[in-house]
Formats: sequence, C-alpha cells, structure tokens
Amino acid sequence: MKIPILRLGRVLLTSIQVDLSDADAMQFQGDLVTKISEIEAMGVAIDITSLEVVDSYMARVINDTATMARLLGAEVVVCGIQPYVAMTLVEMGRGLIGADCVFDLEQGLARLNERIRLRGDARLDDGE
Amino acid sequence: MPSNRLAPIRTLLSRDRETVAEEWASDVLRAWERNYPNMISQDETRHQMGRLLAEIATLFADHDGDTPPKIPADSPLPGLAGEISASRAKLGFRPTDTAHFVIALKNVLTRHLVRMVEGSQLDLVVCLAAVDDVLDRLALMTFDAYVEARERVIAQQSLSLVELSSPVVRLWDQVILLPLVGIIDTVRARQFTERLLEAISRYEALVTIIDVTGVPVFDTGVAKHIMKAIEAAQLLGTRIVMTGLSPEGAQTLTKLNVGFGEVTSRASLRAGVAEALRMIGRRIVAIGG
Amino acid sequence: MAPSAATPVVPTRIQITEQMDIVRARAEAKRLVGLIGLGPSDQTRLATAVSELARNILQYAGKGQCEISNISTPAELGVRIVFEDSGPGIPDVACAMRDGYSTSGGLGAGLPGTQRLMDRFEIDSRPGRTRVSIALIRRRL
Repeated sequence: MKIPILRLGRVLLTSIQVDLSDADAMQFQGDLVTKISEIEAMGVAIDITSLEVVDSYMARVINDTATMARLLGAEVVVCGIQPYVAMTLVEMGRGLIGADCVFDLEQGLARLNERIRLRGDARLDDGE
Repeated sequence: MPSNRLAPIRTLLSRDRETVAEEWASDVLRAWERNYPNMISQDETRHQMGRLLAEIATLFADHDGDTPPKIPADSPLPGLAGEISASRAKLGFRPTDTAHFVIALKNVLTRHLVRMVEGSQLDLVVCLAAVDDVLDRLALMTFDAYVEARERVIAQQSLSLVELSSPVVRLWDQVILLPLVGIIDTVRARQFTERLLEAISRYEALVTIIDVTGVPVFDTGVAKHIMKAIEAAQLLGTRIVMTGLSPEGAQTLTKLNVGFGEVTSRASLRAGVAEALRMIGRRIVAIGG
Repeated sequence: MAPSAATPVVPTRIQITEQMDIVRARAEAKRLVGLIGLGPSDQTRLATAVSELARNILQYAGKGQCEISNISTPAELGVRIVFEDSGPGIPDVACAMRDGYSTSGGLGAGLPGTQRLMDRFEIDSRPGRTRVSIALIRRRL
C-alpha cells in the first residue's frame, strides 16, 4: 500500500484514503520525509479526512512525521480530522496531535502559503 | 360429554358483550373523568375497550377445558392492553388509575357470573378462577407497559433538558456559539462536545465562541470537561474564543495548569463576538455611519 | 463477511494473528456496534479501543482473539469486548496502566487511553493467559 505524495511547487500534498496497517503507516512516514528532504519542501499538508479510526499508534506516526518535517525545515498542517476522531483522541489523552489542524486541504494550502510568506527563505528562489 | 364449566363465560362474552362493555366503560370513564377531567376522548376509550373485550372473548371461545386459557405469544392482547396503558402513562395518569380499567372489567364479569351460574358452586368457582387468572395476567402486562412508557417519558425529558441547556448557535458564516448553562457532568459534557464538534464540522466554523457565563460552579471537573471540548474542537481546525469566565474559573484553570495558549479569552460575550468577527475579517458598523 | 442483518450475529469472535487483523477487527467492531445501536461517536471509541488492544496482543503475545457481545438490557444499550491471549502476560499491571509507560517504544497511551474511552475496563494477566474486558454502556433514549 503506497500513499501518493503530490508536489505543488515547494509544497507537498498527501491524503491518506484507506485504513492503514502499521507497516503501511511506517512506509508512508519514510516516503514522506524522503520526499521533503529531496525537494527541500517548505510546506506539507497531511489530509486524514478518510480516517475513521486514529489510535495512539497512528496518532504517534502522524505526530512524529510532523516533527520530522519541521526538523527538515517544512511547515506542517494536518487536515480534516473527523469530529468523532478528535473526540476520541482527546479522551484518550492530551497532546496526541501536536501539529496545526485545519478543516480540509484547501484551508491547509491557504494556511501553509500564509506561513511560507512570512519565512526568511520564502523568496530565495527569486534571487538565485 | 366433555366438561364445559367455562361455558358461562363464553355466553357472557358473546351474548351479553354489549351490556358488559357498557357497564365496564361507564365504570372506568366515570373514575377517569373524575380524576382527569377533559383529558380523555370517550369515543376512543370505548373503542379501545371494545377491541380488548372482543379479544378476550376470542381467547375464551377458542379454548377447551376447565383450566384458565393461556394467552398465546401471537395474541394481540398484550399489545392492546399495553397501548391503552402506555397512552395513559403519557397523559400522566397514576399507576392505580391506569390499572383500574382491568380491575373494573374483573368486577363487571364477576357480578354477571355470580348471577348466571346459580346451579353449582363448583362451576362458579372454576369460572371465577379463570376470569381472575386471565385478567390478573393482563393487569401485570398493563403495569409493565405503564412503567416502560413512563421511563421513556423521563428519558426524553432529561434528553430535551440537556439539549435545551446547551444549543449550538450559528452566529455568522463560519462563527458558532456554544452557550453553556447549568451543571456540567460527564454525560452532559459528552453530549455537548459531540454536538459542538458536529456543528463545527458542518459549518466549517473558523471561530467557535464558548460562553461560560451560565456555568454556576467552575470546579476542576467542569474545567477538565470544557478543556477537552476545546482541544477536540481545535483538532478540527477552529479557533476558540472563551467568554464570561468568572474569577473562580480563572483560578481553577490556572491551578490545573492547563495550557491556554491557543485560546483567546474575553470578559463578556459582547466582546467575544467582536473578537470572533475580527478573526474572520468582519466588524459591526452603524448603518450609514 | 456476515450478512448485514438488522440483528447482528453476536457474540462474534475475531482472530488476531497478523497486522491486517487489527484493521479488520476494528472495522468489524465498528460495524457490529453500529448494528447493536450505538451512535457514531461510540462506534469510533470502540473501534479505537479494539485497535489499541489488538495491537497489544500482536506486539506482546504474537496472537490471540477478541469476542464482541451484545449486553444490552431493556433499559440500556451495551457492548462488551473480551480480548484473550496466551502470551507472557503483563509483568506489572499497575505500571502498564500509568500514562507514558511503554516497554515497546509506543506512545504509552495505549492501555490508560483505552481505559479512559470505556465505561468498564478489567484486566487480568498472568504468564500464559491475559484477559482484557472492555464495555460501553449507554442509557436507551
């Protein structure tokens, strides 16, 4: 099971559409951080609208991926957490998702662009 | 010749059914009218009692032998009795008044049988025992139905109370308001959190105002419930404005050491609305101003 | 898969022997719990709990099973799920129930997190037999 990662300029978009096994989730994490590093991505949007169950393992994978992306210099948003998933995560324990959360990919992109605009390296490409 | 001691009951329920029905109905209606004036439809009650009596007649007509007839599983009797009893329960009848209609029938039948079965004491005893048996079981069924209906009424009332006390209000495009009023316990917290999250998701609310002006006691339990709702809401992608926190509330939250970094707090709902509108790039101005 | 009848076929037993079984078990739990009559938020709670406990079985015992039962009464809707394995057992249950404790490099939110999601949570563990029983109970409306 391979999760497609789409590139839009210096932003990466990815949408998890199926219920992942633990191995698939690790594969996804590896693929995404490799890609971030490869294109020196400035922003990453992870869409989990389709996930109906996010347990502590999946939450950790998402959280870790976000941390790794930030360490690689990218802004991160998590898009489309379902209401019942949010409730369950909070009931299980605090801080399971530490990244910035938005409703959908569209808002995710808007949020990323907003934050990228404020970055010191935002216009580096123009000067080169 | 097969023993046929229950024949008088059959005769009574077929030949004299009109008389029995009339005496029964007038007895029951007199009591109900006295205790619950103008609450019941006489025609409907007579109709329901008529159907019940017809089914009891069928039960005895289809039965052979001297033992009291069993009420078969597919009999419409429990349903009919339950229906009458449940409708009384919803109107707020007392259990004794609801049970009265079965007992009244027993009295009417007993009165008639004592007159009809003059010949043999034994025959009379067998008949009365059969009537007792069937009507007692019917009485138990009506009582079950009554209790069940009352429990449902109570559950509905407590549910509507919960819904009334924390509606989720759409204030503007993508701005919603959750006014919390009253005591917040675990069950209520779960319910308002669920409805809040559904509303945030439905309206894609960018800003959610949680007004706690109407929360009388802001202890650590309440604070934790509200914090959970706020965290879950933030996971969906909404920003939170909290309004109307009391000094005690502020002390409780600080003692709990909960991170409130992402929550904007405003003293009044009025200020909170202004803040929420600013967050979505709107403000209220005087017409023509 | 069982036919989606109005009354679910319960108790239902699900074997947990490989990773995809976690995905299957939580999907099946969610479906059955929905048929029993619990709402979407409780379906999500139970599916999440099943996911946590099924993963524990795989991780620590290698294999096991869970059984989903309808324990509804006229007054309440209820679902119970019992997880069983014959692995080495949890050496210190009290410790495993503490937040942040993990012997596997997980988040350490598995057991205590699951307990917080459920109305009932019982754990009985010794070498060779571990049994975790969880239940959700809701008043009928």
